[in-house]
Amino acid sequence: MSYYDIDAILTDAEQKKVPCKFELDVPELGYLDNNPSQPLKAGTSIGLPLWLAEPLALTSRSPNNPEDSSSSFVTLDLPPSLSNEVMSALKADPRAVPLRDQSHNFYGLGTRMLDVFEEAEICAILRRTFVTRAADIALHARKAGATEDMGVGAGEEFLRGLEEWERKLFRKAHEGAKGTKEWMERVKKY
Amino acid sequence: MDIDDILREVDPTFDSIPEDTRDLQALTRAWVAERSSPELLDWPIDGLFERINERIKQQIEKIEEMTGDMDPKTNFALIVIQTELERYKYLVRSYLRARIAKIDKHTLHYLSNPVIRARLSPPELAYATRHQALLHNHYLSSFLSSFPAPLQNLNDTAGNISMIDAPDLDTAVFIRLLGDTRVEGRGTDEDGAMDGKNGDIVILRWSDAKKLVDTGVAEIV
Amino acid sequence: MYGDLGNKLVQHAKRTQNLSHLPPYQTELVRAVTREVRDLDKDVADLLEPFQGSFNPANDQATACTLLVNHLSMRRNKRCLLAYHRTRADRLEELVWKGYDVVDLAGQQVRDGQGGFNGPPGMATGNGGTSSLSPQEEDYVRQYSDLLAAYKGQWTDIDLTGSLEPPRDLFIDVRVLKDAGEIQTEYGAITLTKNSQFYVRQGDVERLIAQGYLQKLS
Repeated sequence: MSYYDIDAILTDAEQKKVPCKFELDVPELGYLDNNPSQPLKAGTSIGLPLWLAEPLALTSRSPNNPEDSSSSFVTLDLPPSLSNEVMSALKADPRAVPLRDQSHNFYGLGTRMLDVFEEAEICAILRRTFVTRAADIALHARKAGATEDMGVGAGEEFLRGLEEWERKLFRKAHEGAKGTKEWMERVKKY
Repeated sequence: MDIDDILREVDPTFDSIPEDTRDLQALTRAWVAERSSPELLDWPIDGLFERINERIKQQIEKIEEMTGDMDPKTNFALIVIQTELERYKYLVRSYLRARIAKIDKHTLHYLSNPVIRARLSPPELAYATRHQALLHNHYLSSFLSSFPAPLQNLNDTAGNISMIDAPDLDTAVFIRLLGDTRVEGRGTDEDGAMDGKNGDIVILRWSDAKKLVDTGVAEIV
Repeated sequence: MYGDLGNKLVQHAKRTQNLSHLPPYQTELVRAVTREVRDLDKDVADLLEPFQGSFNPANDQATACTLLVNHLSMRRNKRCLLAYHRTRADRLEELVWKGYDVVDLAGQQVRDGQGGFNGPPGMATGNGGTSSLSPQEEDYVRQYSDLLAAYKGQWTDIDLTGSLEPPRDLFIDVRVLKDAGEIQTEYGAITLTKNSQFYVRQGDVERLIAQGYLQKLS
């Protein structure tokens, strides 16, 4: 992951935040729960962006006792975009889910979360989803190249449901198909 | 001659090839490899580019001498030489630009230690150092100077992400084997290995391909 | 909450990546995010003050948690600011490589009152009267141009900023899109007046094509 990468930074601040349960009272942090005058109580659950949630969950609050790994400031839960409902829908048909509605950086968020959570099943579902959809994307990208109407009509509708990695993949596949076509035509000419 | 023919010509006939042809082969190879590898490769230290520069100069002078001549035969030769020169210059330009693009992208990484720094030519090193200084200054004057001192660094590696971006060495590359050799590659689920034959073309991660390329049993295509 | 403004900056950067022109510099946002960092730093100092340098995180976990959140927010803002400036600097460098007089262009558009420059360089100016570059960016462009000129100077015969398309033909047909005055070629001087066509050596006119004065005819 790259420090200056715009998409990575945006992934860290997804609109659908990561649910975090605070494990202790913190007087100064009421503002995180939109309540600056009140202390933040232990047990409060609030959605925090990944850039804040992850290090809070991974930092031990008793550094002198590294054995006690359970004692972090917050406990994370999976964000809504990786919820059971979404997973079931993806299991049923990966192509039917507009991933972008779940998260603009769906896979980016997924990989980050799976660094923290041991979730073999989610991992397997995400991989299958990516592979299945990638084939579909390649197909659409080729078609868009053939009709020269990329970004219009049906193409646009299809693109709308793609998250950022997939859009990049689409652009690359499209350019690849176009480049090959141009090259073949040149070969014929000479 | 096809580029493939040039590239396939390996050592046995090496000494019978004149130096200028050999240099063009070396340049072509360096160019192909630099464009395809995810990280910056070593700058050739055997004086290749000094010789190339010298030859380009000679050709330009020759063209200037010939231009005055109105004889149609000279004119035809002139066009051939100019075309050749343009292609030669293109190779050098494209090669240098591929390198600068990588250096610009991961400047701090390439400046970070002497081993990696040694891959840059002296002008590239000067450029990279200065470029980084300009950027740092630009950040300082735009906002960074009003930050608390401990936060002003650009090379922090603490925290969960390093500020020094590095190229992704697991990017896939195509290589051609120049001899029979065992090829081993790491995969996501399992690793793979095969007995490769001279001339085989394989796709694998650059981090696995690098040792084959470095020892000369394979080249990037 | 902290970090939200920084995120706005990064969204600007994301948009910039997909635009052909460089949108105006977000002076106010940059200032606000920087101020946030200073405020956070002051909070940290205030929190630590009563401890007189003997703060032990294990004994006061609530304070430790607050400090961590402050610290992470500062680092986050720093990353957003850097990424925003870097994205713009990359774009400016690209324009310098293409040979545009970036500073002049940015100002010129303001004088012409154009919202979106229609040529390839395209420097939009949002709030009329100011350049789309910050003064610091103008400085940076000047310094980077000098640096590039110095590096190019080591390769006098190559023209590093020339075309990266493999050369196919020595001579090409071009149409003149904008008056470009007289140029010297080895076959003599040519006056490039609008709408005229010429058969010229590609190497002589590459720069003018890149700058949008000439169009290559295939």
